[in-house]
Amino acid sequence: MIASKSRRFANLTFSRGLSRRTLLGSMLAAPLIARPAFADDTLNAYSIWPENYARPMMEAFEKASGIHVKFIRFSSGEALARVTAEKNNPQVDVLFGGPVETFTAGQTQGIFEAYTPPAAADLPARFKDKGGAWTAIADDPLVFMTNTQFLKQNNLQAPASWDDLLNPAYKNMLQMADARTSGTAVTRIFSILQVHNRNEDEAFAYMKKLRQNVQLYTKSGGGGTLPVGLGQAGGGIFFIVDALFTRQQGYDVQISFPKEGIGSAAECIALIKGARNPEAGKKLIDWATSPAMQSLLAPNKINFIPANPKVETEAGLAAILKAANIIEIDDTWAGANRQRIVQRWVAEVLNAT
Amino acid sequence: MAIANVWTRWRSAGDPLRAFVVAVLWLLLALFVLYPLVELIGRALSDDSGFTLAPLTAAINSRSNLRAFANSLLLATLVGVCGTFFGFLFAFTVERTRAPRFWVRLLDVATLLPLISPPFTTSIAFVFSFGPRGFITHDLLGMNNASVYGLSSTLAAETLTYFPLAYMALRPMLAGIGGDLEEMAFSLGSSRWRVFRTVTLSLTVPGLANAFLLLFAASLADFATPLILAGNDFPVLPTEAYLQITGMFDLKGGAVLSLLLLVPAGIVYLLQHHVVGRRRYVTMTGKGRASASQNSVAPWAGAALMAFCLTAVLFILYLYALLLIASLVTSFGANHTLTLAHYRVIFTEGLPAIEDTLIIALIGMPIGGLYGVVVGYLVARTEFIGRPAMEIVTMLNYALPGTIVGIAYLIAFNQPPFLLTGTAAIIIACYVFRYSPTGIRTTVALLQQIDRSIEEASFSLGASSFMTFRRIMLPLIMPAFFAGLSVVFIRSMTAISATIFLVSINWTLITVRILENMTELSLGPAAAFSVFVILVVVVVTGVLNKVLRRLTAPGLRLPAVEG
Repeated sequence: MIASKSRRFANLTFSRGLSRRTLLGSMLAAPLIARPAFADDTLNAYSIWPENYARPMMEAFEKASGIHVKFIRFSSGEALARVTAEKNNPQVDVLFGGPVETFTAGQTQGIFEAYTPPAAADLPARFKDKGGAWTAIADDPLVFMTNTQFLKQNNLQAPASWDDLLNPAYKNMLQMADARTSGTAVTRIFSILQVHNRNEDEAFAYMKKLRQNVQLYTKSGGGGTLPVGLGQAGGGIFFIVDALFTRQQGYDVQISFPKEGIGSAAECIALIKGARNPEAGKKLIDWATSPAMQSLLAPNKINFIPANPKVETEAGLAAILKAANIIEIDDTWAGANRQRIVQRWVAEVLNAT
Repeated sequence: MAIANVWTRWRSAGDPLRAFVVAVLWLLLALFVLYPLVELIGRALSDDSGFTLAPLTAAINSRSNLRAFANSLLLATLVGVCGTFFGFLFAFTVERTRAPRFWVRLLDVATLLPLISPPFTTSIAFVFSFGPRGFITHDLLGMNNASVYGLSSTLAAETLTYFPLAYMALRPMLAGIGGDLEEMAFSLGSSRWRVFRTVTLSLTVPGLANAFLLLFAASLADFATPLILAGNDFPVLPTEAYLQITGMFDLKGGAVLSLLLLVPAGIVYLLQHHVVGRRRYVTMTGKGRASASQNSVAPWAGAALMAFCLTAVLFILYLYALLLIASLVTSFGANHTLTLAHYRVIFTEGLPAIEDTLIIALIGMPIGGLYGVVVGYLVARTEFIGRPAMEIVTMLNYALPGTIVGIAYLIAFNQPPFLLTGTAAIIIACYVFRYSPTGIRTTVALLQQIDRSIEEASFSLGASSFMTFRRIMLPLIMPAFFAGLSVVFIRSMTAISATIFLVSINWTLITVRILENMTELSLGPAAAFSVFVILVVVVVTGVLNKVLRRLTAPGLRLPAVEG
């Protein structure tokens, strides 16, 4: 209730002013209604991590720093669109969480202020931007998630190869994210490209075949997990954090990896250019990239892999990852080709009939 | 009394107060209706070198956009036809069969539910019922791999959501017309079927046309249902425009797509204006209204109609029961242990959204109500330059699909001189100018029922101006005021299509949270939020209706409140 403390107060003063305004009954007063949003001790952030992950983190940060945090959650595409649209009038100080490809796309829009936190020195190269535009706070590989009941009914094993997903048994039973709105989808597409050694025509031929089995491309990366859990869909490709959350909620699902390899997205944080409270923003970045935050992931049952090597991966998660062949996606190449690839995906895969 | 004095001065021609109010209204309309639209069109039809039609022609030449455009029209037409059919059946059953009062009450309540629910509720329940492992398709009918995404389920969900509009528009019409004519036809020996065909149905044709247009427009603008149910093979324009902006970061592309939507929306608006313009309002003639014929339906046919309506009602109640269950169990479909955890979540983590939504709805309510009666009074009772233009401009934001309005506001108010991004004002303004037209129409309809001369008669019989105001004007205006503000309240609690573009770090909305919850697989909180919204709306509109009934002069009829 973090954000609420300052908010409540704001509300109170606000509603006192409000009743007077209403009494005046003046419509002209309406445009004046704005909250005192940018107090010194308040940090504003867009979170791409869902509320139930971001909230415990932000609460811990409030306790540690005494800074009030106000945040709102948007999917990666929406958050990026907002920050870009607000370039001349930034509403937030920090963009928190979300796959690296969102951050490299933002970098080309020039919406970030370079800042290198002390913890960056400990991080491998793929977890930080050379210029300090963004830094990773966690790692999140993709997985195949399938409904156990569905597998049984169709006498299938959990898929262990990209080609297993082309099995006609999956016809109309896969759900995965739409590349127009979801970073999960973009990471998936780049994984497929990487598996095909960036031979685009070959990769797109595979995706077109896969399209036959896809029931729905969802707006958000985790959008298909509940349908898979419920058996409305047989399976899909998701980030491990969403897949394990589905399992934690009690749905009977299998998690598997393709032997050819699958990509992983670093989850990042960045300071917004023109932030009204950059000092507080830097403090959050320092804290989030350090063990202080990342050691809280496991106790909160958040299944991201810590980016900071000083934090150990939770045992259960590490056991699952043993079976995984995680391949690296070249972020620079991905960032430079993102828009073209997504457009090609929309034209050739999504709109294929 | 000050109010009465103001009113007396208002009535006198050339009143400076009235001129001032008209000027202020024009200023507000220019700022919140015209300016955003101009900015939207400007953004869509310009590039670095200035004005160009290239983006529009490019959009029109794109196969996928054309498909989305055709899909939108197809869906809207089908929803219009099916919804009008359902609405007519319901209205006819209630008004022409000897249905027991209790069942009619039930019908009324059940048809109200879709009108006051946040978006997505029917869509979600549809997925659970008709998906590959849906309760109905799989568990009951034993079907495997049923496909829930596409035209048919979008059509079904939208019909279910919007047919109550047709019911509410057609019911008073059926109640008011034809009762005496039907009796005459019967006494001349006509069969029931013949009477139905030649009297009842033919008298209802304008009403049917109006209902069709209402539903067509509602479906054309609907963004939430297709987002969940349309799937990949049936893209529609509002959803595509939204994805273009939020996904591809392409504000311009979204603006262009929403311009495509402008064409059918405009045509429907003009047609509707034509139909509504010819509608005749029941006036206070002092003559008792002929009650509808009780003889026009054979008992067996009445029973069949009632059975049909009750089946539909049961289905609606079933969908809402699913929602209630989803809000009360740990995780729907996997763990059905009863829990209040989801309600705890919405009243802790979700509290800011609840507070914001309520504050915005409560501020918007009186402003919207006042705006409605002021504009309605000016349009119906006074003459000033530009009056017809004002009537049209006030209807614009209402007639346009929410996606257009939202994108237009996003573009217009994100830059100086009118920097409103991040304030509550931008959301309130959006609601007031988009949903007050109901109040305007109600005011106009009410004022048209009483001749001007009644006011003059009151004066000439020696009543003071205060007495005239209190006894004549107040009872007339107050119902419209309350009808208008309750629509603004309901919409402020449940709308998403326009305001999804306008929420900010400082002000967020329950409906946007519901969408977020659903996309991050927190179905429980989404359901709990929905239940909460429905309860709040039921309580508030219930209280408002009580007030309204007390204030409505006997003999006056309120036109159906159309969302």
